[in-house]
Amino acid sequence: MNAAWLPLTALATSLLVVVVIFALPEEARRLRTTINLMAAVVKIILVTLMVRRVAAGHEDIFSFQVIGGVDFVLRSDALGVMFAGLSSLLWLCTTIYAIGYLEGSANRKRFFGFFSLCVASTIGIALADNLFTFLIFYEMLTLSTYPLVVHNGTQQALDAGRVYLRYTLSAGVVLLLGTVLLYSLTGDQSFSSEEGLGDYLNDHRGLLTLIFALLVGGLAVKTAMVPLHGWLPRAMVAPAPVSALLHAVAVVKAGAFGILRVVYDLFGIELSVELGVITALAVAASFTIIYGSLRAIAQEELKPRLAYSTVSQVSYVILGIGLFGPFGTVGALAHLLHQGLMKVTLFFCAGNYAEELGIHRIDEMDGAGKRMPLTSIAFTIGAFGMIGLPPVAGFITKWYLGVGAIQAEMYWVVAVLVASSTLNAMYFLPIVHRLWFRSGPAHGKGSWPKEQRLGRFETHSWLLLPMVFTALVSLGAGLFAGLPFSPLDWAARVANGEYLP
Amino acid sequence: MMTMLLALALLWPLVVIGWTLWSAYRAPAAYQSYFSALWLSAAWPALLLAYGGEAQWTMDAWMLGGEWALNSLSRPWLAFTALLWGVAAIHARGYFAAEQAKAQKGDQDTQRRLLRLALLWPLTLLGNVLLIIAQDIASFYLGFALMTFAAYALVVHSGTVEARLGAKAYLMLAVVGEGLIIGGFLWAAGEADTLTLQGLREGILVAEQGAWMAALLCLGFGVKAGVIGLHVWLPLAHPVAPAPASAVLSGAMIKAGLLGWISVLPLGDEQVSVSLAQFGNIMLMAGLAAAFGAALYGVFQRHPKAVLAYSSISQMGMMTSLVAMGLVAPDVWPLLWPGLVLFAAHHALAKGSLFMGTSISEHLPRWPLPLVWALLALPGISLAGAIGAGMISKWGVKSPLYEMHHESLIKLLSWAAVGTAALVSVALWRQWQQRHKGGSNREQWGAWLVAIAAALLTPFWLPLPAGSIEMPPFKEWLGIIWPFPVGVLFAALGWLLTRPLKGKSLPAGDLWWLYAGMFGAALVPIRLFGHYCAELKAASVASAQKTEEMLMGDLTRLLSTESWLRHHASGLMMLLAVLLAALMMWEGQR
Repeated sequence: MNAAWLPLTALATSLLVVVVIFALPEEARRLRTTINLMAAVVKIILVTLMVRRVAAGHEDIFSFQVIGGVDFVLRSDALGVMFAGLSSLLWLCTTIYAIGYLEGSANRKRFFGFFSLCVASTIGIALADNLFTFLIFYEMLTLSTYPLVVHNGTQQALDAGRVYLRYTLSAGVVLLLGTVLLYSLTGDQSFSSEEGLGDYLNDHRGLLTLIFALLVGGLAVKTAMVPLHGWLPRAMVAPAPVSALLHAVAVVKAGAFGILRVVYDLFGIELSVELGVITALAVAASFTIIYGSLRAIAQEELKPRLAYSTVSQVSYVILGIGLFGPFGTVGALAHLLHQGLMKVTLFFCAGNYAEELGIHRIDEMDGAGKRMPLTSIAFTIGAFGMIGLPPVAGFITKWYLGVGAIQAEMYWVVAVLVASSTLNAMYFLPIVHRLWFRSGPAHGKGSWPKEQRLGRFETHSWLLLPMVFTALVSLGAGLFAGLPFSPLDWAARVANGEYLP
Repeated sequence: MMTMLLALALLWPLVVIGWTLWSAYRAPAAYQSYFSALWLSAAWPALLLAYGGEAQWTMDAWMLGGEWALNSLSRPWLAFTALLWGVAAIHARGYFAAEQAKAQKGDQDTQRRLLRLALLWPLTLLGNVLLIIAQDIASFYLGFALMTFAAYALVVHSGTVEARLGAKAYLMLAVVGEGLIIGGFLWAAGEADTLTLQGLREGILVAEQGAWMAALLCLGFGVKAGVIGLHVWLPLAHPVAPAPASAVLSGAMIKAGLLGWISVLPLGDEQVSVSLAQFGNIMLMAGLAAAFGAALYGVFQRHPKAVLAYSSISQMGMMTSLVAMGLVAPDVWPLLWPGLVLFAAHHALAKGSLFMGTSISEHLPRWPLPLVWALLALPGISLAGAIGAGMISKWGVKSPLYEMHHESLIKLLSWAAVGTAALVSVALWRQWQQRHKGGSNREQWGAWLVAIAAALLTPFWLPLPAGSIEMPPFKEWLGIIWPFPVGVLFAALGWLLTRPLKGKSLPAGDLWWLYAGMFGAALVPIRLFGHYCAELKAASVASAQKTEEMLMGDLTRLLSTESWLRHHASGLMMLLAVLLAALMMWEGQR
C-alpha cells in the first residue's frame, strides 16, 4: 500500500502556509499566528504518521516525470523521516519563539512567510529521493533564508546577507555541476536504489572522485566546514529565532544531511571507502572541529561564540560518516538530532538574554542566573551537552563516535574528541560560571545593558516555553536514550538499514 | 522493597533540592532556613540502602543501558560515604548558623551563597551515591561528572580571592581529569565492545594496549584521588572550602577516584600481562612517592587545613600503592581488598572529623581545653594507626601482605605512617596557634563527636564480608603502634630545627605555581602566533579586495567600451556595410 499523499501533504502544509501568509495583510496578526501554529501541529502529526509507517516497513513514494530522464520524487525513508521529524518539531518551537520575539516589530508578514518557506524547503530536502529533487529544495532553501538573514535591514545585516549569498550561490553552482556530471554519467539515480554506483567504478574512477568532490564540496559550504565556514559567524546578525533555525535544522543541517545522503545513499559507503574519500572527510571534519573550537574561545560575544561552536559541532556528523562503521554512523545520525536540540536551546537562551536584558557580550552575563533562572538552567543544560557530559544528549553521540573510532582503528579521532570536549569546556564553563557564580546587576552591581520586563515570568512566556521544552528534550534524549523512538534508537534503526540490508 | 529504597535514595536528594528551591521562593528572607530538617536527611535513604542487603537492577531505557548493583564492595562504600555526608550535613547546619543569621538580616550576597550551597550539596551527594552503585560505564561517568562539577560550589563558597583560586585549580584539573577518563573509557570500551565496568576490566586485561588504557583511566581518576603531580588542587581547595565541605571533599569525594581505580583495573587477576604488572609497579612507586613527598612538604604548611590536605594526599598515596598491589601481586588482592575498604572508610570518617575539628578549634566551645585537644587528636592518632579502628585497618592491610611476604612494602607503609603522625601533630599545633574562642553550637560539635565515634568504631558498623577483618594479635601491637610516637617526635624535632626560619613556610599547592608559570610561558608564543595569523588574514583580505577592485575596474572599462560601441552604432554599421560592399565588389572582380 503506497500512501503517496503522505509525503506530498507533509510538504504541502508548509508551502500552503507560505501562500496564505503572503496573501494575508500585514495587520492580520492573530489569523496569521493561528494558521502558522495549526500548520506546524498538523505537520508534526503527518510526520508522526510517516514515522509509524516507516517503522512498520512502508516507504511512501510520490513521483512525476518532469522531462525525459528527470523525475521529481518524494519518498519517506528512515533517514529522511528522521530529518523531517527534527525539522517539524523545531518548526513549531521556533515559530512559537519567533512570535514572541518579533512582537510589535515591523515586516512580520515577510518574516513568517519566508520562515515557513525555509522550513518547507527542509522538508523537501528530507524527503527528496534523487539529486534533482534535492537540488531544487536546496536552492530554494538558500534563497528563502536570505530575507531572514537580512531581516533587520541594517547595513551590517545586508553585508552579512551578501556574504551569505556569495558563499551559498557559488556552492550551488558547484553542486549543480556535480549533479549534471552525475546525470550525464548514470542518468537518474534514486537514493533508494540498491546497486549504487559500484558498476561505474572500474571505468570512471577519476570521474566518480571528481563528482564526489564537487557534490561534497558544494554541500560543505552550508555545513560550514573550514575553510568554507566564513558566512556562518557573520550571519549571526539575524534575529535569534532565525539563528536558532539556521544552526539547528535549516541551513547547516541541510548541508550535513546532504553529505549523509551522498555518502550513504548515492555512492554507498563501500564505494566511498573504495574511492578513499572517506578518510579525507574524517580528516577535514577533525580539522574543522578543532579549529571551530579554538576560534570559539576567542569570541567575546555570545552569538558568534555559539556560531563557532556550531562550526565545530556539525562536523561531528561528518566525522561520524568518516569512521565507516555502524557505531560511527549511529553517532553521526544521532548527533544530527542531538546537536539540533541542544543548539536550538542555546540560541533561544541567547535570544532571551538579548531581548530581556540586552545582553550581547559574554562579560555582561554576570549573575544573570538570578534574574533569569529558567533561561540560565536551560543554557547550562545545553552547554553541558555540548561539552559532552552526561546525562545530556551530547554524551550519547560522543560515546558512539568514540567507540566507532576505536573499532575503525582510528585512534587519533578519540584524541580529537577529547580535545574538542576540553575546548568546549574551556569556552562554555566560563559562561556558566558567570551566570551562577559571579554577582552582577541582579545583585545590585551596575545595571543590565537594556532591561525590559517582557512578561509575568522572567521573560515573555512565548520565549520561555519553547526553550524549556527543547532543554527538557535534550536532557531526556540523553537520560532515556534506551527508550524506543528516542533519537538514538531511530539512528540505530537507520544505521541498521545501511549496514544490514 | 530494595528497589523502592534505591529509587528513594536517588530521588530524595532531588526532592530536597526541589523543596529548598520552593521554600527559598516562598519564604521571606528573614525567616529563610536553608538547612532545614529535610535538607539534613538528603543522605539518609542512601545509608538505609547500604544496610538493606545486596541487590541488582537493570534498566534498559536508562542512557546506554543502566546496570546498578549493591555488592560486597559497593555496600560498605555506600555506607561510609552516606554516613559521612549525613554527619557533615548536620555539621554544616551548625557551621553556617552565623551566615544564615546574616542572610536573615538581609545580606543579599550571603543569601545567594547559602542558597547555592544548599542546592548543590544534595546534587553532589546524588552524584556520589550514583557512582557507587553504578555498574555500567555511563551511569558511573554520570555520577562522577555530576559530583565533580556540582562540588565546585562547595569549594568556591566563601567567594574570597583564595577561594576562587582554589576553585579554579579544582575545576581546571577536573576538566583535565574528565578528558582523560572519557578518553580511557572510549578506548577500553571500544576495544572490548562493552558497556559495563565488568566488561571494561576484562577488556583491559586482554587488550594489547591494556597498560596504556589503564594509565589513562588511572590518571583521570587520579585527579580526584590526588595522585602525585595531579594533586595540586587539594592543598589549594581544602583550606578555602567551608569545614563540612572539606570533610566530604576529603572523606567521600576523593575516595570516588579510588573506587574508580578499583572499578576499572583488573585487580587480582592471575592473567595480568607483563605490561600491566609493569604499570602496577609504576603506580606503586607513584603512590609511595605521594605518601612520603606529601608528608615532607605538608609539615611546613601554616594553615591547619592545608596540612590536613597534604595528609590526605599522603594517605591516598598509601591506598594507591595498595591498589597497585592488585596488579603487581594479584594473589594478595582477595585478602587485601577488605582491608583497603576498611582503610578508606576509616580515613573518610577520621579525615572528616579532623576537618570538622578545624571548625571546632576556630570556635571553641566552653569545655576544658585539654579535653577539646584530646578529642581533636583522637581521629588523628587513630589515623596514624595507634588506637581504635586505625589499628585494625592497619592490620587489615598488613596481615595479607605478611602472608604473601611483601615485607619491604610493609616497612615503607609503616614509615609513611610516621609521616601521617607528624602531619597530624603539625595540624594540631597549627590549630592550637590559630584557636579562637566561642561560637560553636550544638550541631557543630554534636556532628563532630559522632564522626569521631564512627571513625574509631569503623570496623563495627562497616558492612564488610563476615570474617574478612580481625583484631591484630597482641604481639603485633608494637609493630603497628610505633610509627605514632616516632612521628610526633620527628615533628617536635623538625619544629626545633626550623625555628631559626622564623615561621617562613612553603606555599600551599607546591607544583601548581610551577604549572601556572609554565602555562604562562607557553601562552606567549601562542599569542604571538595568533597575532601573526590575524595579520596574515587582514593582509589576505586586503589583497583579495584589491584584486577584486582591479577586476571590477577591468570589467567596467570593458562595459564602457560597449557603451562606446552603442554610441557609435550607426556609424559603425555604415562602415561595416561599406566594407562588406567593398569586399563583395572585390570578389566580383576576380
